[in-house]
This record gives sequence, C-alpha cells and structure tokens, in this order.
Amino acid sequence: MAVSDTHIASLSVQTELRRKRQFKMLLFWGVFLAFAAWCVQGTIIEDTDWSRIGGRSGVWASIGRYIQIDWGLLPELLVPTIETFMMASVGTVLGCFFSLPVAWLGAANVTPSKTILYPVGRFLMVLSRSVHEIVWALIFVSAVGLGALPGILAIAMRSVGFISKITAEAIENIDAKPVEAIRATGGNEFQVMYYGILPQIYPVVLATVIFEWDINIRRSAVMGLVGAGGLGLLFFRQMNSFNYGGVTMVILAILLLIVLGEVISHYLRKAVI
Amino acid sequence: MSVLSVRNLRVRYSAKGPEILKGIDFDVESDDFLAMIGPSGAGKSTLIRCVNRLVEPTDGQITLLGQDVRTLSARELRGLRRNVGMIFQEFNLINRMSVMDNVLSGRLGYTGNIRSLFRHFPKEDVHRALDYLDRVGLSDHVNKRADELSGGQRQRVGIARALMQQPKLLLLDEPTSALDPKISREVMALIMSIAKELGVPALCNIHDVQLAKEFCNRIIGLQDGYKKFDGDTKTLRDSDLEDIYAMEVL
Repeated sequence: MAVSDTHIASLSVQTELRRKRQFKMLLFWGVFLAFAAWCVQGTIIEDTDWSRIGGRSGVWASIGRYIQIDWGLLPELLVPTIETFMMASVGTVLGCFFSLPVAWLGAANVTPSKTILYPVGRFLMVLSRSVHEIVWALIFVSAVGLGALPGILAIAMRSVGFISKITAEAIENIDAKPVEAIRATGGNEFQVMYYGILPQIYPVVLATVIFEWDINIRRSAVMGLVGAGGLGLLFFRQMNSFNYGGVTMVILAILLLIVLGEVISHYLRKAVI
Repeated sequence: MSVLSVRNLRVRYSAKGPEILKGIDFDVESDDFLAMIGPSGAGKSTLIRCVNRLVEPTDGQITLLGQDVRTLSARELRGLRRNVGMIFQEFNLINRMSVMDNVLSGRLGYTGNIRSLFRHFPKEDVHRALDYLDRVGLSDHVNKRADELSGGQRQRVGIARALMQQPKLLLLDEPTSALDPKISREVMALIMSIAKELGVPALCNIHDVQLAKEFCNRIIGLQDGYKKFDGDTKTLRDSDLEDIYAMEVL
C-alpha cells in the first residue's frame, strides 16, 4: 500500500508540474503574438500608403521593369567593378594597419596602461563598429571629396572594430610560456611581441582579415550611393535616370563580384588554416 | 667570487598574498651544478625566476656576475638576461616557428630590431646554431616546425636556444619533468656534459631526487619558502630528505 501511495503522490506532483509548464508556454506565446501584432499594426497597416500601390497588376508591372535587363550597360561596368574590388582590398589592408595599435591598446595583457589606454582601445573598437559604413562614407566624402578615397577610408574605419577586437582577444588568449622564454633571452618589448605573441595569433588574425575582406566587397558595392565611387555610384545613376534594367545589370555585377570574393576567400582561408 | 649570490630573498606576489620565499640565502660557484629540490609549491620556480627578474623580489639582495640585479634599469636588465640561459619545464618554444628560428631566437638579446623583424641573423649566429643543433643531435630536424618534434627533441631545441646566448649561468626550471624517465636521464646528461664542456655553472630546479643525486654536485632543499638543506650531494642523508618532503607526506 505504502508503495502505491507514494506513487500516486508523485504522479500528482508530476501533473501539477506539467500544468505549470503548459501555462508558462501559453503565456509566452500569448505575449509574443500580441507583440508581433502590435508591430505589424504600427509599421505595415498604418504606415503604408495603400492607395499608391494600386492594383496587383501595378505591383507586377513595377517589378517587371527590372527584368528587362539593360545589357548595353555591360562595357560601362568593368571599371566600376574593378574599382569596387580595389576599394574593398585597399580598405581592408588599411584597416589592418589601424587595427594593430588598437588591438595593442585594447588587449588586457599587453596594454601599456590599463587605466587609461585600455578603455581608449576598447572605445575605438566600439566606435568603429557602431557607426554604419554609409555614415563613415558620408563623413569622409565631406572631408576629402567624391571618389574612391573616401570609400577606402570608410571601409578601413569600419573594419578596425572587428579585426582589432578579434586580434585583442587572440592576444589575451595566448600561451604566456614562449613570451617568458623570449623575455629571458634578453629580448626587448618589440622582440617579445614579434617572436612571442605574433606567431601565436597570426592564423586567427589572417582568417579574420580574409573574412572582413569578403564583407568589405559588399560594403564597397554600396559606397557609391553617397558618392564614394565604385558600382554603387553607377547603381545610383541608373536609379536616378529610371533605367530599371540598368539597375538590375549593376546588381548582377555586384552579385558576380561577391560570388568571386566568396570563392577567393574560401581558398585563401583553406590556405591559412 | 661566486657567480650568483642570493641574500635574504623574499617574495610576495601581492601585498596581501602569502610570502612565497621567506629569506633565502645561497651562492652558486663557477663550477657548481646545483640542484634545488623540494615539494611542489615550495617556491623553486619563483626562486629561479628571481635570478633574472622574471619575478620581482620584494626584499633581499641578488648579485649576479658582479651586478646588483634588483637595481638594474630595464636596458641593463636585458643586458644581464642575455648572459643567463634558461631552460623550461614545458620547453617554451614558439610552436609555429622552425627549429632553426627557435634556436636563433636565443640571440635576440644581441640582435637589433630591424634584423629581428626580418629574422635576418648574422651568419656566425646561423653557423653557431647549426653547431649546437648538431651537438644536441637534431641536425636532421633543422627546418621542421617546433611542434612536429617529440618532447625530448623539443627540450633539446630549448637547450640549443639557451646555449645560443653564450650564457655565463644556466637556469634550469624542471627541465625533465615533462619527459619520461629514460629521456629525462638523457637530457640531464646532455645538459651536464655541455655545462662542464663550456664551464658554465647551472642552477637546476628538480623534484626528482634520484636525478638530482646522480647529476648534481650540490643540493639545496626548499620547503614552504625556507631553505632546509644546503650541502654537497654526498652529505645528503635520508633524514634530510624526510625533513624536506615532510610537508608533502602530511
């Protein structure tokens, strides 16, 4: 009897637990759906100008204009495509150079001053990432004028955040033993970093840089929207002259470039690791 | 005159932390191969690192090659460190670099920044590195990466690196405890024969008492930051060992 009594008791405890859990689930989904409905109401239903969309055929016709690809644009695409590619590459390399000192300041175990320069390094990392590349480009276009240079600078600034953060983390995770050995041979600070730290972090850093370069091709493709050269500028011009087929052509070129970047970075990463 | 003399050495890692070394005195003479034995946590590694100030002593005096170690400037300290070859328990090699580059890194204290940037060491250094690699039996592994070698081979690279410094004193921090008994004996024999050959004294942390008795002419016993024994290997009795290792038994 005693056995079955405890059995029944544990059963009722289990049932109670299950009921509680089910109630929690129900509550969660209720709140989630209410929140989603509120967002849809605010952004789509109230915010859309339904009268301007027109009928279903109007929507299709608008989209259809993009499908008539303007192949005539092809010869004009080559130079901006190359420019976009170069902007991404030079910007990434420049970003690497900016990242090194930032990583040095922002890595807790090598920073020259933990109270002042370490927070500065960390702040620079956040600053670089929290400002959008288009905003960086706007700043540099107003600073150095139109063309590829502001685009390169914008990409470099935007790249610093990620590269320096990963590099700083890699530095913080190094094995201290080789560092001690180099110090014991009488090496100076530069030699300790170059021999003790760099060989340990370079695979991580290189893989990160390749990844960032891949992303930067995408970024440099839109730089032209704010006047910073490359395919984006051509895109912007087609849009302004209502040449929708040309817009599609530019998008195809961007797509091709990105696929190319993807392939190259795939093989580069393999070579590194 | 002693190569190294240590007086009343005290170390604390932080102001409120425990005292690791509690007033240690000893000397290393120019023909010594001195073993420092004692249980784990006795302060052996801390002591050996005070000699070239990888660890900063809190009190006491260290005189090495006629210089007062504790008052040296950063530049003078680097100058002193290159005279002291160090061999580590876990080899402390740079794994992604070749054996040759690891050995050459022993010359960094004598090499300028530009040369070290391009790993462009003087020709005589390269020749000397090849000689030492031959001496430690690694002629066939010169261009391999350090992490491709076995433990015993890696420690031989560490030995060659220390020799590259043309040291006037060798500091050995548990050079054999990551190796198996047979390789340990080989490595100890190699270090000792080279030290004798070059006339370099050595200070060797070691927890394997058997090896210490076999290879070292003098023994210092450390326990919980105090020196418990200091004398010729021949005078070390079992009762002394019991005294040194008493804490561990408890």
